[in-house]
Amino acid sequence: MEKLILRRVDRNNEEMILNFGPQHPSTHGVINFIVETDGEVLRKAVPDVGYLHRSIEKIGESTGYHGFMPYTDRIDYVAAMFPNEGYAMVVERLCGIQVPKRALYLRAISTELCRIASHLVSIGTMTMDIGAFTPMIHGIRERETINDLIEALCGARLTYNYHRIGGVAFDLPEGWRDKTLAFLDHFDKFLVEFDRLISFNEIYIKRLANVAVIPGPMAVDYGLSGPNLRGSGVDFDLRKAMPYGVYPEFEFDVPVGKGMFGQVGDCFDRYICRTREMGESSKIVRQALDLIQQAPEGDIVAPKVARNLKVEAGEALSRVESARGEMAFYLVADGTNRAWRVRTRTGSFTAMGIIEAISPGLMVADLVALIASLDVVAPEIDR
Amino acid sequence: MMTFTEYAGSFQKTAVSFWHGLSITMSHLFRRPMTVQYPDRTPLPVRDMLPPRYRGFLEVDTAICTGCQACERACPIACIQITLEKDPANPKQRLVTQFDIDEAKCMFCGLCVEPCPTGSIQHTREFEGSVANIRNLVFRWSDPVKPFPVYRVEKGAEYFARAPLGSLVRARLEAARWNAAAVEYLPPEPPAPAVAPVPAAAPAPPTPTNPETK
Ligand code: SF4
Ligand code: SF4
Repeated sequence: MEKLILRRVDRNNEEMILNFGPQHPSTHGVINFIVETDGEVLRKAVPDVGYLHRSIEKIGESTGYHGFMPYTDRIDYVAAMFPNEGYAMVVERLCGIQVPKRALYLRAISTELCRIASHLVSIGTMTMDIGAFTPMIHGIRERETINDLIEALCGARLTYNYHRIGGVAFDLPEGWRDKTLAFLDHFDKFLVEFDRLISFNEIYIKRLANVAVIPGPMAVDYGLSGPNLRGSGVDFDLRKAMPYGVYPEFEFDVPVGKGMFGQVGDCFDRYICRTREMGESSKIVRQALDLIQQAPEGDIVAPKVARNLKVEAGEALSRVESARGEMAFYLVADGTNRAWRVRTRTGSFTAMGIIEAISPGLMVADLVALIASLDVVAPEIDR
Repeated sequence: MMTFTEYAGSFQKTAVSFWHGLSITMSHLFRRPMTVQYPDRTPLPVRDMLPPRYRGFLEVDTAICTGCQACERACPIACIQITLEKDPANPKQRLVTQFDIDEAKCMFCGLCVEPCPTGSIQHTREFEGSVANIRNLVFRWSDPVKPFPVYRVEKGAEYFARAPLGSLVRARLEAARWNAAAVEYLPPEPPAPAVAPVPAAAPAPPTPTNPETK
C-alpha cells in the first residue's frame, strides 16, 4: 500500500492516483479506495479498509456472554438480525442449549423480514448509484413497513437485540401475524411493480450488463458468499447446503445468476439475484407464520440459561446465511464468564478482496456499480 | 458490431422503459402519501403511536425497587450506578442513596429490564430528549439527601402496582428541559484540558569564571 501511494506518476500521460472515499456517498460508508486511473479507465482500485474499526471482537472478550448481544447489532446495522442469530447460535452450540421450536420459527421470521429490508436498501442504493433516484425511495418506503413490524415485535427499528442465547426476547404481539401477511401480499405486488419500474429498464440493463464480470470459479477462489456468489452462478446457500434452525421445513428456491442480459456474474446478475431472493424470503415468512401456530405459545426461550453464563472451555463455530453472505461466528471459551476469543467472518469483508482483481480495465463509473452490486456495508467490513 | 436494427431497437426499448417507469411514477399522484410531517402534523403525539414494546428512555419506579442491583449487573456498558447504604436510624432498613442512569450513554438494548424482579425498571415510549447540556440526561432516581428505602417483596406476590409508565420520566424530562441548569449532585465535571505549560526559562549557562580574578 505504502509503495502504491508514493509511486511516482509519469506526467506525460493521464495517469493519476486518487483517493476515492472515505467520505464519498457512493462508497456505501466509510471506505477508502486508492484508485489508479489512466483517464477514465482504472488501472487498479485498492480498497483501504479500517476507518470504521470499533474492536467489536475485542469487546466480545470483555462483556459477558449475554452482554455482547447488543454489540453484535452493530456489526451489520442494515441487517442486525443475522449477527444476533449467529452469535446466539454459537453460544448455544458450545453450551448444548436446546432452543424451543417456537423460538426457531421466530428467528426465521425475523431474519427473513430483515433480509428483505436489507435487500431493499441494497437494490435501492444500487439504483441510486447508477443514477435513478426514484427506486430508492420506493425501496425505503417498503422497508419502513418492515421497520414498523419489527419495532412492534422487539421495540427497536435498527439495532434489534431481539435474539437471546437460548431463544428470542419476545413472542409475537397480538395482531402481528395478520399485519405481516397483509404486508407480504402488498410486497409481492410491489416486487412486480419494482421490476417494471427499474429492473427491466433498458438503460439500467445496458448500464449493468457485462460490467465487472466475476466468473463462478473466481468467486469461489476469492471467498465470495451470499448473493455475490450466487450471482456468479454458483448455487450455494447455507440455508440449503448446511441447514440450521428450521430451514429444512421450508420450501424455497435459491435464485442464481444466469446471465440474463450478458455474461454470468455481471453486475446485473448480482442485482437480479437480490430482487428474486426477496420474493423467496417472503415465501419463507408465510410458511413460518403458518407453522408457528403449531408451536405452543410463550415457549420462546430455553429454560435455565444462567444470567451470568459460564461456558466450559471449548470452541465452536456457527454459520448463518446473512443478507451479505455467509456470516460465521467462532468462539473460544475458557470456562469463565467471559469469552476468550470471538471472531466474526462477514461477507462484506471478503467481497472487498475481489475488487482489486476485478477493477483493472473498468471505467471509473463502473467501479461505483461494482461496489454497489457487491452490497458492502462499511461496519461489517471493519467490525 | 451492432446492426442498425439493434440500434433502432434499443431506442424503442428505451422509450417503452420510460413509459413503464413514468406510468408508475404518475400513478403515485393518485395514491395516499406515505410521509408524515413530524412533529406537529401527527394525529397523536408520536410517543402514543409507538408500539408498546418500544424501547425508549428508562424509567424506575422507586416505590417498588428492591435494590437488588440486577439491572446494574446486566448492563453491558455500565450506565446504571446503584449505591446501597444502611439506614442510620434503622439498621435493618437499607437505603438506595444513588440510582443514576446515564441515558446519554445507554444504547436502549433492554437487557436491564429483563432481570428486574418487580418490573420497576422499564422502557418507556419517551424519546424526545434533546438537551443543551448532556449532563441533564443523567437521570437520578435517588439522591444522597433523599434516599429511598428498598422495597420488600411480599411472599408469593406476583403483581406490583406501578406508577403509570412514562409519567415519571416525563416529569424528569420536563424538569431538565432544553436549557435548564444541570441536575444537582452530578459527579464533578471532567477537568478542563490542561493548558500547555509555558516552558520555563532555560537556566542560564554557568558563566565560566576565571579562578585568577578571585
Ligand atoms: S437499556 Fe441496555 S445500555 Fe441501557 S441501561 Fe439498560 S442494559 Fe444498559
Ligand atoms: S430496578 Fe429492578 S433490577 Fe434494578 S435494583 Fe431495582 S428491583 Fe433490582
